Amino acid sequence: MDFVKNLDADMSLAILSCLDDPSDLVRASAVSRSWRHFVIKYSLSKNLCLKLFHQLTSVDRIIEIINEAGGSSSSSLIMDDTTSTTTRLLLDREHRVYALLAKGCTSSPIKSCIADAITASTTDRLPEESIFNTLDARDRFGFTPSYWSSTGHHNTSVPETLLYKLKGDLCVINEVSIQPLQANFHPGAPIYSSRYVRFRFGHLVNNSREDTEDENKYVWTHTSQEFPMAQENRLQSFKLPEPVLCIGGYLLVEFLGRVQICDIDGLYYICVSHVKVMGRSLAKSFGVVDSDISGKFALKVLSYGDPQEVDEKEAELGIREIRLRILRQYVNFLHRYPPVEPL
Amino acid sequence: MDQNLVDLTEKLSLSSNKIVLTSSDGDSFEIHEAVARKSQTIAEMLDAGCTGTIPLHNVTGKILDRVIDYCITHVKEDGPFEEEEEAEEKEAKKKWDAEFVKVDLETIFELILAANYLNIKGLIGLTSQAVADHIKDKTPEDVREIFGIENDFTPEEEEAVRNEHAWAFEDSK
Repeated sequence: MDFVKNLDADMSLAILSCLDDPSDLVRASAVSRSWRHFVIKYSLSKNLCLKLFHQLTSVDRIIEIINEAGGSSSSSLIMDDTTSTTTRLLLDREHRVYALLAKGCTSSPIKSCIADAITASTTDRLPEESIFNTLDARDRFGFTPSYWSSTGHHNTSVPETLLYKLKGDLCVINEVSIQPLQANFHPGAPIYSSRYVRFRFGHLVNNSREDTEDENKYVWTHTSQEFPMAQENRLQSFKLPEPVLCIGGYLLVEFLGRVQICDIDGLYYICVSHVKVMGRSLAKSFGVVDSDISGKFALKVLSYGDPQEVDEKEAELGIREIRLRILRQYVNFLHRYPPVEPL
Repeated sequence: MDQNLVDLTEKLSLSSNKIVLTSSDGDSFEIHEAVARKSQTIAEMLDAGCTGTIPLHNVTGKILDRVIDYCITHVKEDGPFEEEEEAEEKEAKKKWDAEFVKVDLETIFELILAANYLNIKGLIGLTSQAVADHIKDKTPEDVREIFGIENDFTPEEEEAVRNEHAWAFEDSK
């Protein structure tokens, strides 16, 4: 029975809303005209996205840039809600975009999502103990330990934070892994972990720049639970109970509660050798633009290509990043061990 | 099952009323009030003062029989008779539900209509999912065949739809 035609809308809705794979919804829209009309009219793709990621309620419009590549028209047409004249066009666009978004959010390849380190709340010795060392999985560079260290405190409740930029404006994050530093160069080989870690995801406030020092320029739209951290020298994985869609591309790692005192100066430190963030970056397909309304965003489609396909350009960028990091480490190394004149 | 129901109704000091439901084709079914109240529709009728026999003109005997089976199996969930269930019991119910929907599509649709009319939330969910399972991972051609749907797209329209999200059609079975 063609239930879309023959049953009441609420029953058909109950059935089609059970489809939680965006490919199924797209294929359903290819069955017949009435099926397509139904899928679009009842915003099934959008509802699926909102069901998966409630963070998307802060998206208030969609921007598509339509480039007729290879066609007779070579001009770009920017379509957003202000140019759309009928609800039907808007619903068509929403279906097109949200189906792609759902697909990207559920089946882009899972990879490391950190694009760069931005800043640490405090750093004991710059540049040798800078946050950039946490980007490297190795806990030493040559014979030199590679880690970030906070400044020391008598008060164990003073927290620390590490701020990272993720790959693209939209990332679905599954887990964050952290390896605290075991300082083999200190007596007793202490491990400078924290008691808990917590993660915040968010964006830059309108018109802010990353390099200014203003602390209030980030808005954190999602805060995770506090995860207890083990005082163990291993890469500890903190799996988010549900994948989190980070709109805006910034991750703040918070270290709460200091546990390890440094015998040399009697202060408590937090030191981390590696931070890794695993998830799906939607950078290839989507960008995010601040909306005029505070706290709201426009979703910008960059490409309709298959989100599951690995981008060659991305791979190239990845290699360039690694080269940059290695360069930085050389510089740090030279800082620590400046070349000495031969006698 | 029966002893459980007696215990339940005693526990909640409800009178162990029996309700009679009659189907569109004349079959009657005598069931405990607790079971009947799984249907919001019937619950509202009872609250409004209906007693004795409730005629259900929209449901055949064959389907009503199955619906009542469902209600008896799930009487302990939601609503006034909710009880904490053992994991074992939950597992057993899942298996029972899976068997319950192993019927032809036409029967499932009749069950959906009955569940909707009688407003039995769990059954609506179960039967909707069963239909959706026939759509999941299938190509549009398969779906048309299963549900007897006519393809009314023009070739150009169909191509445009497929091109819009080519990734959904690449690896379709």
